[in-house]
Parts: sequence; C-alpha cells; structure tokens
Amino acid sequence: MTEPFLSIRKLRKAFGAFTAVRDVTLDIPKGEFLTFLGPSGSGKSTTLYAIAGFQDPTSGDVLLEGKSLLSVPSHKRNIGMVFQRYTLFPHLTVAENTAFPLRVRGRPEAEIKRKVADMLSLVRLESFAQRLPAALSGGQQQRVALARALAYDPPILLMDEPLSALDKKLREEIQAEIRRIHRETGVTILYVTHDQEEALHLSDRIALFHNGRIEQIGTGEDLYLRPATDFVAGFIGNSNFLAAEHLETAAGASTIRLADGSLISGIRANGSFQHGQKTRLMIRPEAFGLERKPKHAELSVDIVDVAFYGERRRIVARTRAGQEIDIRPTSSAVAASDASPGKRQVFFDPATAFLFPA
Amino acid sequence: MPVQAQQGIASPRTSAGLGGLAPALILIGLFFVVPVLALLLRSVTDPVAGLQNYAALLGDGTYARVFFNTFLVAFVVTIVTVLVAFPVAWMLAIMPPALASLLFSIIILSMWTNLLTRTYAWMVLLQRTGVINRALMSVGIIDQPLPLINNLTGVTIGMVYIMLPFMILPLVGTLRAIDPMTLRAAALCGASPFAAFLRILLPLSLPGIAAGGLMVFVMSLGYFVTPALLGGTSNMMLAEMIAQMIQSLLNWGLGSAAAFILLVVTMALYALQLRLVGNSRATGAA
Repeated sequence: MTEPFLSIRKLRKAFGAFTAVRDVTLDIPKGEFLTFLGPSGSGKSTTLYAIAGFQDPTSGDVLLEGKSLLSVPSHKRNIGMVFQRYTLFPHLTVAENTAFPLRVRGRPEAEIKRKVADMLSLVRLESFAQRLPAALSGGQQQRVALARALAYDPPILLMDEPLSALDKKLREEIQAEIRRIHRETGVTILYVTHDQEEALHLSDRIALFHNGRIEQIGTGEDLYLRPATDFVAGFIGNSNFLAAEHLETAAGASTIRLADGSLISGIRANGSFQHGQKTRLMIRPEAFGLERKPKHAELSVDIVDVAFYGERRRIVARTRAGQEIDIRPTSSAVAASDASPGKRQVFFDPATAFLFPA
Repeated sequence: MPVQAQQGIASPRTSAGLGGLAPALILIGLFFVVPVLALLLRSVTDPVAGLQNYAALLGDGTYARVFFNTFLVAFVVTIVTVLVAFPVAWMLAIMPPALASLLFSIIILSMWTNLLTRTYAWMVLLQRTGVINRALMSVGIIDQPLPLINNLTGVTIGMVYIMLPFMILPLVGTLRAIDPMTLRAAALCGASPFAAFLRILLPLSLPGIAAGGLMVFVMSLGYFVTPALLGGTSNMMLAEMIAQMIQSLLNWGLGSAAAFILLVVTMALYALQLRLVGNSRATGAA
C-alpha cells in the first residue's frame, strides 16, 4: 500500500468538557482540492488549526508523507495558509509581503526577486507590487495573501474561509482565481468553508463536518445525490423532509406510509428499518413535477404560493398532513397557469427520494 | 499615531471661525504663552540685557556636564523603560480582558501613590544596608554591598519605576490594534518567534514605542524629586541645577535660561519624532 500524502489519524480535540473534534480520520492524496464543509462549531476549523500547528490536538496524529507533524512547530511545517481576514503585514508593501516567507528562509536576493515576480503575476497583481496593503481592496489583499502563502512552494495550502469577508461578486471572481491557481500549481489545498455552493464549485472532494465528526466525505455529486445521513441531505442543497412510517423493505425498495395516510413504494432504502419505525422521507424540491409520469409517486397538496425565479419556479405547497414543502420545477416545464394556488397532485420519482431514521 | 489623529481633527475646525475659540485662546495665552515668554524675557534681561546667561550655560564645563548628565539619564531611563514595558504591555494586550483590566488598575494605582513615598521606598530598598543588598549578601551572591544608590543606577531604577505606566499605556493601545492572526501568519510563513518579533511585531509597535518613549524622555529631562533623592552629587540633573540657581543662588536669569534651553531641546525632539514616525508610516519603510 502506498503512503497517503497527508493523513489525519483519529484526531481529537477537547476544550474542557466540550469536544470540538471527535476522532477524525482522513487521507488526502497529493494535489487534491479537499473542502471541509460544515456549520460553525462543527470542528472544521479546529481540524485545520491542528494541521497548521496553532492548536495541539488532544489525541490523534497528522502525518505528512508518513512523518508526524505534531512535534514540528508552525514555522517549520512548511505549510502555506490564507486566513479569513487578510492578515497581510500592514507595514510591508505587496512585494515585501510576498517576499517575507523567502526572506525569513534566508534565500538569495535574486531568487526572491524572481519568485516574487512569478507570484504576483500568478495572482495578477504585478502593477501593485509597491503598494501597501491598506491601499488595496479586500479581494486584492486576499490575492496577495495567496501569493505570500504560495511563495515558498509549500506542499500544502490551507485556506480558512478566505472569501467570507468579501462581497458576492468578488467571491466568485476569487473562486475562479483559486481554481486556476490550483490547476496551474498542483498544490494540495485544504479549504474550510460554511458555504456549500463554494464547496461544490471548488472542490475535488468535500468532507462534511457535523458535531466534530465527518458526516460524509465524497465528491459534491456524491453528497448531493447520495447523502449518507439526513444531516448531509439537509445541509447540501435544498430538501423537503416528510414524516413517514416504514412498512417494509424488499429487494432494496421500501414501502412507507406518509402522515396523510398515502402509501409510497419503490423508495431507495438507505439503511435498514423496522416495520412501523418512524422515518423521514427526503425529496429534493426539483424532484417534484406537476405531470403524472409512469412509476412516479403522487402527493396531494394545496398550492399556497408561486414565485418566478428565472430558470425555476418556486412553489410553496402544504401536504394533507399540514406540512409545508418546497417545489422547484424548471419554468419551461411548468406553465404559470398550471401552478396556480389550489388543490392538486404533485409527482416525484421514488428512486430519487431517501429514507432516513427520524 | 495619536498626534497625527489630533492634527487630522484640528485642521478642518480652524476654518469654522475663531470667535467661539476665544475663551480657550485667552486661557492658553494667559497661562501657557505669557509665562513662557516671561521666562524667555527674564533669561535675556536678568541681571542685564544680553545673552550672557546662555553664554555662561553653554560655555561652562560644569554646566555642560549637567546637560550631558540630564540627557544620559533621560536616555538610559527611556531605553530601560521600553525594555521592561514591552513584555508587560504585550502580556496585557493578549491576556483575557477581565484579567488585563485588573492588572491595568494595579498599574494605575501605583501612578496615584504619592511620588515621594515611592521614591523613599526605593531608598529603603537600595541603600548599602537596604533590603536588596542584605538579601543578596545573605544568600551569598555578593560579599560587598552593591552601590545601588546615589548614582546613575539608583536614579535609573527609581525613574524607570515611575515612568513605566507612561510607556505601558500607549504601548498596550498600539499592541492591541495588531491582529494576533498576523503573527500566526508570520509563523506559518516560516518566521521563528524571534524573526516574527523583529520583522513584524516590533515595526508595528513602533508608533506606540515612539509615543511612550518621547513622553518618558521628556518627563525624565525635567525630573526633580527622584534624581535629587536617589542620585549622587556627581550626576546632578538639570532640574536640580535650576532649583539650586533659583533657590540658593537667587540667580533667576541663569535659571530661566537653563529652563528655556530644556524647553527648546524638548520641542526639537518632538519635531524629530513627528518626522521619523510620520515618515516611516507613510512609506512603509520601518
């Protein structure tokens, strides 16, 4: 078996009685873009800080190419990092900020000059070399932070919510920049964010954190189409959860009874359930249609409100059991007149729905 | 930095008309400008008109030694104060706010304690048979009492103690404004703690060091009580000399001239600091 590039082994971090990270184990191949996604307090930043050396884990290990990093102080770990706030050195110019990691390593002047020029052209800030950070916009400062973090060719780049202080337009611009830089440099990136769109857009794989554990790790598609738990289903994308009673499962297909008494069969079983067990049925808003199709299940609802969102319509409906659900068919598939408020049937493919324990 | 901020606020207000400022201007004129002018006048008219007082002060070796001594003491006190105050200020800047404000009030409390009391306390501690010498001798570190009083050492110890709060307060302000993440960033960039201190923390805290340092230096230049009690006759400072000229010799002219020279030097230093700190911040070449 080949040694994984970066390996996190049973990492645990407790702050007094509160356990922030519980036995996180993870292997990261060289060159991967891996995102730690999760709500605040889920342990994603704590895990990143343990890799950076800002926080000693309570137990567990972090291995880079088979060697433990834990006994290595931060300044000898050779890790690049971009922070949420820009943390540029305010008294140094853009060029000197970028040169800083090389200067403290005592590299020769000619090499520093060449490398700084390379880095500033990588982040497209050549003409800003002599400016002070205070004279730059937030997005430009974050690009300088990127240049500084990459200047000494670190094998790993850590990014801690680097875009959260920027407005939406700048965020998208820097996202594209980060993707390009990842492509061009091939550096292994560990990226922390609470923004699922950012995670889906940027990452090769996403590790979804919840209560200090990795709830699921996989590609964005895995997490969206094959959520392992109801937390994953609820966190990635939009979802409706309907209260349901499990009746039976045969050949991987389950039959359930919804709160309004209707029976639905052909649900993809996601684990094993007892007869009569209380469960939750997850259906994506875009999985609903207003037209009957073969093998589709139906649901009787009261349409409460319809709004036009460009490519999709957003329909708010109430089930017979009084539960509100969110339906988002494409605008071209559903005419405005079809979706007018009132009682009607909506349809979905049971194979795209997931059953989770309540 | 605080100085620059004040200038920034003051300039737009001058255009609002001077009428409303009259009471303040009269106060400043009456109690600050007039006395300084009177001092200047006295120094060039007493006992007769002319610059003989200045000639005497600047030409005489004894007086020159007092000037040299004054600057030496002020310089040494400022350096030692910075060295002692920096770690204290850093600790106050990074510790939990509740604990920091407790320690702050202890420091302020020492400022409110009577100056003479504190200086006499140092006399008790520092003299030949004082607490410090006896303690060091009883544990066998020294055989002979160290000369800790009536010399530069005594003055420095006593004055550093008194000046510390004036250095710590502006320094804490400056250090608190530094984002601690900046230092983490420096560490991940490969800077050892020492390199991060030298290349990041020190340059960023320079405005606070300059502000506190100037205050300490200027206060030390004119200090009277502590040098008089803890210093020796061989290292007399300017304030003591002025007191002697006026009280014992009743030579108002010479005393005024000495005081005026001190004022001019102080103002020159202030201007120099504005220039240096101002420049280093503007170009980022600190």
